Amino acid sequence: MKAFAQLKSFEGRGSMEGWLTRIATNTCLNMLRSAKRRPEVVNADLSDDETEFMETVSSPMGREELDAEQKVVAADLAERLLQTLSPEDRLALTMIDGEGASVNEVAQVTGWSESKVKVRAFRARKKAREVLEKLLG
Amino acid sequence: MNHIIDILDNTPFADLSAGELSTIRAHVESCDDCEQAFEAARLSSLFLQERVSQAAEHAASANPFFQTRVMAAWREQQAGSAWSLRRLWNATGALVASMAATTAALAVLMFVAPATNTSDQQTAALAPYSAESVVLGADRDDNQLTNDQVISAIIDDDDEGK
Repeated sequence: MKAFAQLKSFEGRGSMEGWLTRIATNTCLNMLRSAKRRPEVVNADLSDDETEFMETVSSPMGREELDAEQKVVAADLAERLLQTLSPEDRLALTMIDGEGASVNEVAQVTGWSESKVKVRAFRARKKAREVLEKLLG
Repeated sequence: MNHIIDILDNTPFADLSAGELSTIRAHVESCDDCEQAFEAARLSSLFLQERVSQAAEHAASANPFFQTRVMAAWREQQAGSAWSLRRLWNATGALVASMAATTAALAVLMFVAPATNTSDQQTAALAPYSAESVVLGADRDDNQLTNDQVISAIIDDDDEGK
């Protein structure tokens, strides 16, 4: 609907796919921004499974391949970790560190400058690291 | 002392080069703060990649159903539109045919018949009595009374009244 409403703004210089992707990205970011919820993750919030998992993976013995159950817990923890970030930081971290996208690719999809993408990713990485340090500490 | 936190925050953990990793490992042996930061960065990267792979698995497992649903809906829509057109024609075909015939008849009456009538009317206006009617008295109304008959009828009435 949004793409249809903004069809006049499509100048035809880039690809239609890129233009649609940008609209979808911005729409999702606006929705996330409106939610305005950035809960902190503290040890008390972790379930028994998550606490046990954190202890296991942070020990030298736990650095082996994760089993199926541990993978699910890891994905859940990643989700909680991402919830502590702003939508922009979350997007940058997910795309670059999770999906393996380049800074240039993220810049193209979001319409941000490469500098902005780098700053977002840096900030997100730092925040995620600090949250996990608290959980480990 | 150069801490390695900047390296961790500037570069995705999976993209750290062998040189950077060896620098980091050498540093964390003597720096507890950086060791914890390194561990947190490693776990952050690990969790994110697990989340992405889980999402990919869900997408992969959802796609076939999605495609099946879309194709089924599309076929149903195609069949529905063909059926509805046929049903519409069956229901209204006779009506449409009769309307077309009526329209054609009206068109004939409107564009062909008026030309004929007009010429007749013009002829009648110019010559209200044809030669035949004047000579043969063809258009005289046989029921119409002549003046003599009217006068005689009046006289007869008067006589009867007396």
